[in-house]
Amino acid sequence: MSPLRVRELLLLVLAGLIGAVGAVTVASARLGRTSLAPLIGVGVLFAIFLAMHVLVRWRIKHADPLLLPLVGVLTAIGLVSLYRLSPAVAEVQARWVAIGAAVFAAVVFFLPDHRILERYRYIIGLVGLLLLVATMIFGQNLSQSGAGARLWIPIGGGQTVQLGEVSKILVVIFLAGYLRDHREVLAIPTQRHLGVQLPAGRHLAPMLAFCLIALALAGVLNDFGTALLFFGIFLAMLYLASGRIAYVAAGTGAFLVGCVGVWLTVPKIRVRVDTWLHPFNDPLGTGYQMVQSLYALGEGGLFGPGLGKGLLISESGATKIPAQKTDFIFSAPADELGFVGGVAIILIVLLLVGRGLAIASRANDGFSKLLAAGLTTAIGLQTLVILGGIVRLFPLTGVTFPFMSYGGSSVVTNFLLVALLLIISHRSAAPQRLRGSSDEGLVA
Amino acid sequence: MNRSLRRLYLALASGFGAVVLMLGYWQIVAADRLSARTDNPRVAERELLIDRGNITTADGVVVARSRAVRRRDRQIFQRVYPRPTLASNAIGYSSPNQGTTGLESSWNRYLGGSFSAESLFDQFRSSTKRGASVRLTIDSRIQQAAITAMAGQEGAVVAIEPATGNVLALLSTPSFDLSKVAGDFGAILKDPNKPLYSRATQSRYPPGSTFKVLTTIAALDSGTFSPTSPFVDRGRYEKNGRAITNFGGHVYGAHDLQTALVKSINTTFAAIGAQLGPEKLGKTMTAFGFGTRPGIDLRPEEVFSSGRFREGKLLANEDPTGDSARLAIGQEQLDVTPLQMAIVAAAIANGGLRMTPHLVSQVKDRGGDIVKEVRPEEAGRATSPETAAAVAAMMRRVVEEGTGQAADVAGLSVAGKTGTAETGRPGQNDAWFIGFAPQTNAKVAVAVVIANTPATGGGVAAPVASAVMRAALAATGRTP
Repeated sequence: MSPLRVRELLLLVLAGLIGAVGAVTVASARLGRTSLAPLIGVGVLFAIFLAMHVLVRWRIKHADPLLLPLVGVLTAIGLVSLYRLSPAVAEVQARWVAIGAAVFAAVVFFLPDHRILERYRYIIGLVGLLLLVATMIFGQNLSQSGAGARLWIPIGGGQTVQLGEVSKILVVIFLAGYLRDHREVLAIPTQRHLGVQLPAGRHLAPMLAFCLIALALAGVLNDFGTALLFFGIFLAMLYLASGRIAYVAAGTGAFLVGCVGVWLTVPKIRVRVDTWLHPFNDPLGTGYQMVQSLYALGEGGLFGPGLGKGLLISESGATKIPAQKTDFIFSAPADELGFVGGVAIILIVLLLVGRGLAIASRANDGFSKLLAAGLTTAIGLQTLVILGGIVRLFPLTGVTFPFMSYGGSSVVTNFLLVALLLIISHRSAAPQRLRGSSDEGLVA
Repeated sequence: MNRSLRRLYLALASGFGAVVLMLGYWQIVAADRLSARTDNPRVAERELLIDRGNITTADGVVVARSRAVRRRDRQIFQRVYPRPTLASNAIGYSSPNQGTTGLESSWNRYLGGSFSAESLFDQFRSSTKRGASVRLTIDSRIQQAAITAMAGQEGAVVAIEPATGNVLALLSTPSFDLSKVAGDFGAILKDPNKPLYSRATQSRYPPGSTFKVLTTIAALDSGTFSPTSPFVDRGRYEKNGRAITNFGGHVYGAHDLQTALVKSINTTFAAIGAQLGPEKLGKTMTAFGFGTRPGIDLRPEEVFSSGRFREGKLLANEDPTGDSARLAIGQEQLDVTPLQMAIVAAAIANGGLRMTPHLVSQVKDRGGDIVKEVRPEEAGRATSPETAAAVAAMMRRVVEEGTGQAADVAGLSVAGKTGTAETGRPGQNDAWFIGFAPQTNAKVAVAVVIANTPATGGGVAAPVASAVMRAALAATGRTP
């Protein structure tokens, strides 16, 4: 038995225990007496992760042993938080976790080698764009305030999907493939504009065009969180491929100029910025959500009142923070478990990011490196975008908290993403004979 | 590429680090500021989760307790006031919508369980925060006697145990019903009688002739006067153009200081006041606590200071402006709270030693352990034991044969002084009585004011004081 997988199993048990203790605490606080009822649900979810573990053991046994347990912990905290807010919603979310696990299993089973993806990079990139276009055409705005983005596509039966989430992964795959092709030329600047050394236009243009289209689509969709995310991922991957910090600087400069432009032209964004700077100017109107979230954080203090003992639910039975289950899910554990709990969650995400980038650094070829790093950046940056908004580091843009926010598309996409990372880590750690044609890889 | 990866990791990690710093700012640095905001719904809600402690009178009557009810999958606590009109202004209320006042507020740290006598372990183990119980110095029987005696009249009664500063009764009328605060606060607010306003500690009245007690003490302490100092009254004292006459236009002729107090002769006290001047009068006022807020265990905003006022602003007690002659008879610049006048009576009764008044004697946690015991606290020496004894004897004669006869209790040597202060509205006086019983080793000191009455202090306030003192002496086992 591989010691890697033993470690993974033990850590998964730990994640399961966190979920069990959390769920029992919440149920007991709700009923005023000790209740073990939610252990059935916890058991089912643990079995799902156990099945994933067995599959990993069978198909990709050299994969990173920490990734799955970290995802398990985040999923457990997310489900406990949702269970705290509404048991019915937690049940729906648990089903999405099961579907996510099925997608994970399918990918691990049917995709023996992720490098196949490199071959289809243009098709994948095109599909990614098409998904955004589809969202643009069919998307509906389902946010309570009506001020949100048109991200939800009805698929019948009252169900909706957010294709933007999936397109994020497809875009990363495309960028990894494209940048792997062009990294040498991108690293060698041949021209100079505004003090920035740039590579030849013919290498840069397709990628810039692609990103602009992606950004424009996100802009049309009124989804600035996703737009910000795409741009961040693009810059990070461009930097990794070229090793030139100047591109990042130029990109950030362009981004800031773009920000001012958007701020001047899009009223919604101006309101967002005002809310960011002065949420207490309109605590019952535009600032309501932010202010309620800050109150939740403030109430948490250092240790928080304990799970189930916070004041997250208002007299009407709804959550005090309207988007508590989605964008503001982090405020729930940060309230009831305090600063200590909040920092713990952040550290888990940071560990996950660290593992993902470690997988990238151990990968044997440029495509795998870029793909792993891009996928990890997607998770890290997305968490940073929503957390930074919640703590008022910068204006809030609505994106989900990976593995924790309520929402099926997000959960399924992130499980897919983790499956890819695990496959990459398996490939790079596997004995030489399994690597196949790794000679084409670039050793960075 | 690996170096770039490390940099990318560092960039993301510093992003998360910034998030952690900001999170810490909101959760630790700014937490108190956030919870102090009035539009924060969590503050009032959090209060509902606390099992507040009981408030019990000195004679064991529970006047405030908490009742557990379940609402929305959650146990909350409602405040119940079993004797809702006994001492509303003193007890105050704790309501999620209306805030917290009175002793509910000033002793909130204990009642609300924030005194952290419970170990951290107990706090974690116990699912609800439980407050400690507070025992009052107020005796329900004395308080009830005050309520009965005040029936229908606007004003205040304050009774203090002179040796300890224990407040035995603190009544403001008209009062309100504590049990209606949660349901119908609007009606209480709209009540033209303004019952939320504590007339005992927040209303100031001109002290009228009760202030002559202080003038007498200042006179005796100056060394220039004794109880037998001779005076001649011609019915009129005139200086600075404004004539001072005696109540009812009486002319008393030759008399001594003692008689002047017994008969409340304005002209004599005016002359004494003019002779003493603002400095000596002011010194006595300062010694009795005028000009500063009494250190009673209520919120500062519920206790006003007494003293000399000009255009609504408190003057120094020794301020040289104003007419000392009129000051000496309590009709110039002076505005005092009933609590302050009770403190004056108690200090004289206690041999000149002024005690800090307090409403709570003891705090006990749920295990029955005493968390805090309030010990008698000296506020300072108001006058010498000799002066105090001399003034007490003079005040005894006021009740025996002077204006305060209605205050007497058979078998007890009640001492006191009446006052009838003009309010400026014709036929409307503020009627006063301050006093104590017995004359020596007094067990109770009182101040009674009845506002806006055509009657005199001796006519309406003295009987109230009599009833309260009788109840107090009965309660302390000194039934006459």
